[in-house]
Amino acid sequence: MDVELRGITKRFGPVVANDNVNMMIRGGEVLGLLGENGAGKSTMMNILSGLYSPDEGEILIDGKPVSFDGPGDGIAAGIGMVHQHFMLVPVFTVAENVVLGVEPTGPLGYLDLKKARAQVDAINKQYGLHVPADALIEDLPVGIQQRVEILKVLFREADVLILDEPTAVLTPQEVEEFFAIVNSLKEAGKAIVFITHKLHEILAISDRINVLRQGRITGEGDPKTLDEAKLAEMMVGRPVSFTVSKGAGTRGRVMLEMSDVIMLDVTDERLLDHVSLKVHSGEVVGVAGVQGNGQTELVEAITGLERVASGKIIFDGEDITHASVRDRHRRGMAHIPEDRHRDGMISPFTIAENMVLNSYYEPTYTRGMAIDWSAVQETAAKYCLDFDVRTPSVFLPAGNLSGGNQQKMVVARELERQTKLVVASQPTRGLDVGSIEYIHARLIDARDEGDGVLIVSSELDEIMGLADRILVMFEGRIVAEFDNTDGKADRNAVGLAMAGAHQGAAA
Amino acid sequence: MTDGKDLQKVNEDMRKLLARAAFGRGNFEDLFVVPVFAVVAALVLGALIMLATGVDLPTIGRSFVALAVGSAGSLNAVSETLTAAIPLVLAGLGLGLGFRAGLFNIGAEGQLLLGGTAAVVFTFSFPSLPFPILMLFGLLTGALVGAAYASIAGILKATTGAHEVITTIMLNLISIRLLEYILRQPYIQREGRADPVSKSVPDAGQLPRLLDWLDPNLRLHAGVFLMLLAVAFVWWLLFRSKIGFAFRASGANPDAARYAGMRSGLVIVAAMATAGALAGLAGAAQVQGVLGRASPGFSAQMGFDAIALALLGRSHPVGILFAGILFGGLEAGGRQMQVDAGVSIDLISIIQALIIVFIAAPLLVRAIFPWGFRKITKGGKA
Amino acid sequence: MTFLTKTGLAAALLVGSVSAASAFTACQVTDTGGIDDAGFNQTAWKGVQDSIEEYGIEGRFLESQAEADYEANLNSLLGSCDVIVTVGFLMGDATAAAAAANPDQKYSIVDFAYDPTIPNVVGQVYATDQAAFLAGYLAAGMTETGVLGTFGGINIPPVTIFMDGFVHGANHYNSVHGTEVSVLGWNPESKEGLFTGNFDSLDDGRAFAQNLYDEGADIVLPVAGPVGLGSASLANELGTDELKIIGVDADQTQTDPDRAHVYLTSVLKRMDATVQAVIKAAMDDTFEGGLIVGTLENGGVGLAPFGAFEDAVPAELKAEIEEIRAAIIDGSLTIGG
Repeated sequence: MDVELRGITKRFGPVVANDNVNMMIRGGEVLGLLGENGAGKSTMMNILSGLYSPDEGEILIDGKPVSFDGPGDGIAAGIGMVHQHFMLVPVFTVAENVVLGVEPTGPLGYLDLKKARAQVDAINKQYGLHVPADALIEDLPVGIQQRVEILKVLFREADVLILDEPTAVLTPQEVEEFFAIVNSLKEAGKAIVFITHKLHEILAISDRINVLRQGRITGEGDPKTLDEAKLAEMMVGRPVSFTVSKGAGTRGRVMLEMSDVIMLDVTDERLLDHVSLKVHSGEVVGVAGVQGNGQTELVEAITGLERVASGKIIFDGEDITHASVRDRHRRGMAHIPEDRHRDGMISPFTIAENMVLNSYYEPTYTRGMAIDWSAVQETAAKYCLDFDVRTPSVFLPAGNLSGGNQQKMVVARELERQTKLVVASQPTRGLDVGSIEYIHARLIDARDEGDGVLIVSSELDEIMGLADRILVMFEGRIVAEFDNTDGKADRNAVGLAMAGAHQGAAA
Repeated sequence: MTDGKDLQKVNEDMRKLLARAAFGRGNFEDLFVVPVFAVVAALVLGALIMLATGVDLPTIGRSFVALAVGSAGSLNAVSETLTAAIPLVLAGLGLGLGFRAGLFNIGAEGQLLLGGTAAVVFTFSFPSLPFPILMLFGLLTGALVGAAYASIAGILKATTGAHEVITTIMLNLISIRLLEYILRQPYIQREGRADPVSKSVPDAGQLPRLLDWLDPNLRLHAGVFLMLLAVAFVWWLLFRSKIGFAFRASGANPDAARYAGMRSGLVIVAAMATAGALAGLAGAAQVQGVLGRASPGFSAQMGFDAIALALLGRSHPVGILFAGILFGGLEAGGRQMQVDAGVSIDLISIIQALIIVFIAAPLLVRAIFPWGFRKITKGGKA
Repeated sequence: MTFLTKTGLAAALLVGSVSAASAFTACQVTDTGGIDDAGFNQTAWKGVQDSIEEYGIEGRFLESQAEADYEANLNSLLGSCDVIVTVGFLMGDATAAAAAANPDQKYSIVDFAYDPTIPNVVGQVYATDQAAFLAGYLAAGMTETGVLGTFGGINIPPVTIFMDGFVHGANHYNSVHGTEVSVLGWNPESKEGLFTGNFDSLDDGRAFAQNLYDEGADIVLPVAGPVGLGSASLANELGTDELKIIGVDADQTQTDPDRAHVYLTSVLKRMDATVQAVIKAAMDDTFEGGLIVGTLENGGVGLAPFGAFEDAVPAELKAEIEEIRAAIIDGSLTIGG
């Protein structure tokens, strides 16, 4: 099945989200759709799935114009969407989730789960998905959950699959397996639209690439003739540097020292298991690992969000094992949290308010019991300019900003202060190339000014590019350490350690 | 880098970032158009209900005129509207503050009952104190007792995680029975009375009536200043003070508040105590300004009405003030409906409730009167 | 049902008042029980209605939803009423305040006696204990278990005076006949007993009657306005062999016709009669502040007919009750003590 978009324009008030977009999607082909956050990718796909109707232009399926009036029309026409955020019921089985809404029923409307399971297994076999039909969603790893989403659209007989940032939640190994599935779908004649902002992935999997910027198609091409630099330039509109340009750091005194730290969960399972590490001034330490191996807890222990059961945490020579969050912050610890929406910002609050979220009580911003809002606003405006947070006003709710600008806001708040240690957790997750480049440069700046920097990331590329030293976490322990001065660490060895191969060989 | 031109550009950019947005059409619609249409919709539906119960058209017309006249049509009407609004606004401010801090405090009723009772007991215990002092100390006592009672729920939540909805509902029940007990104690019960009614607030302890020199029946009392002061104070507390910032942050995103080093336990107890103080003040203002004594159920469910009021005012002090005046107007106007048109008090309650429902559901109002509003585009920014 | 008739009635009144605006107008402010409480608000309103019928005057009522409404309701009637009747002990303070602020307005209050009296207020009080004494005597003569029960709404004099008379009447029967009939729910000496704490919960009425029944009582006197309707429905379910109810205020076989058969009798408190008398006085310009006391002698209180039990009550007992009534009226029998 072929789908063609012709002259699609969609406006939201004064904002033109899609501007005269032409796009061809062919069966048996992977179309890579590349664009920064806010470039109009999601709008485009929502038009295709029938959620929005375009202001101008038309959609043709196999040459015939169609019109979609509601969210159900896209899937009815054979266009299925796999969302970045899964829409699954955690306490239902795979088969139940797959058939949800289109349940096969027997006489008198009883739910024929046996039939559902058989259908799910058939699709499983056909595309090599290997999803256990009777498992509960909540028991499955993220990568498998994603396959359930794919099962859902295949079950609804979609011929066009739109995959919205599918690799954002996967480990490198899972990405390999995922690509295999995409290829088997392609071979079965399905049309795939692969949306991402990761350049190497789009080059690896696509047959054709469209680049979207500010609502317009700004580039088209064959992955064989393109490279990352060209793609990035099309996407951002200017040349982008990929290698983080960093000189050798000057390693100074120990800023953070953890010795034998143990953290327990409510059932006394060890979340952190005898963790010891050091971060020096003028050094970037990267913590690699597949998500869920204790990295979150490590950051919580350092920043004081969770209590540790035993062990010691020394910050610039002082014991902070039992210090409060605010106390650690006041001593010069910056914390870029892993989930900015949950922890790092308050969406309905203004940008100005968010800029002082953890320093509002300081004398600079207060007069007696009151907050000196004009001082706060001026500071916020300055931070916005310094960190390139693009907003028309500091009085707008932070939730109105694009993801990249929100993260820059958080980074600005944390790094503009006098800091000694920067703890950055997933600092560039979900961001576009331009913002990633910017934030990386700022983290290196912090190192060069003499801060210790601890970066936790599930993006191995990020760790490899930034860190002077790499620690690998597995099941709550630090299982390996690699020297990465001049990027000399062995990528494969790090990947193996992440998978647990280094067990017992802790540094 | 810092030559004059660059500096000028930076200043220009700063100025742009610091420019406030103009008052938009959307705000205007939300604040004025929606309430007006809501009242219209409620009156139409109310008229239909009256018709269905056998009230004739002229009577319906008269009753609506009476509603308007009785709420705002005369000095007495305005006096009654404001008098009814005072305790509602005070208690509503406390609840709104709690909502802002993420606390769904249902306990204003109990805090109001005990606060009001404490104010009565204090004033008749020190009858020798001169006028403004006794009055002010009475109000203060009410606020302190309300705060202390609300703190129980706050401390339980902060230390054990007990949900405030449950604890405050239970504390309400306790306060109702406790009040009946307290009012029977010989020291408190009025002499010569077997029923639970307290001694009277001495004159020096009363909030002075403001308009009795015009007409002794005008009940408006000095509590109206207290109400306005409280609106200003809560606005300052929420939007200008340090602790208010922590309240709002904890309410909007508790995870982010924790990340930012705000102490959730402290915020919970402080917010509950402030809310309780305002509810206690509402009770004190009612007994010192209107009732002159405490009796079982003197709160007349105001603590619960105040929940609707706080939600209607979107937990904003100024919104709560207007919502309180609306509630007060409905009460005073409803009385006039009964007097002038002889409409049953039950029907009046239905119409009052309808007005509140429509105001609380702006989307419903927009759906009923589509021509009154700018069209909303489906979806949003991509 | 009552809601509809009430609204219709109010509307009809309104039309009347518009056509003859200058007519004499009597107004009533109810307490929180409401106009259709099958109790004292309704009985007092009957007095206004009777006056409307007999004297051709206008009448209207205002219902209070909360205590804070009393004063406001009184104020909103100013200027349009020749006499304002307030109903209930709890309105005593508000009525006194309004009377002081408006010395030219005539007021009358049911169930409250001011001491000293107020020049523009007539208090209407009732020697209900006289009638309740007869009811207690009757009940003691009718009980099969030897146990009677009573409970009140709130512990206030207009309520407890019923209970006093009831207990004393039963005791009198004991001393005459040498029986040992006991009354649960009220102790006239310590002034303590069973109270629901409200005048509106029918569920409470049912629960309190159930408790008394469980303790052996087969005749119960609820003194709590509409709360007693809950007790009546329990008696209806159990059957009158198990439980009988004595009504209060009005003849409840009339006000609660669906369950008329459960009422042994009712202790009448003829507020309609006194209200009508006050209205008449105001019309005739003989209105004077002070006190009206309803007694057996002037018909202000009394015992209703025995209804379904007319044949069940022995003629002997009926005669004894008549004798006692006469003795109370001529003063040869003092009740209480």
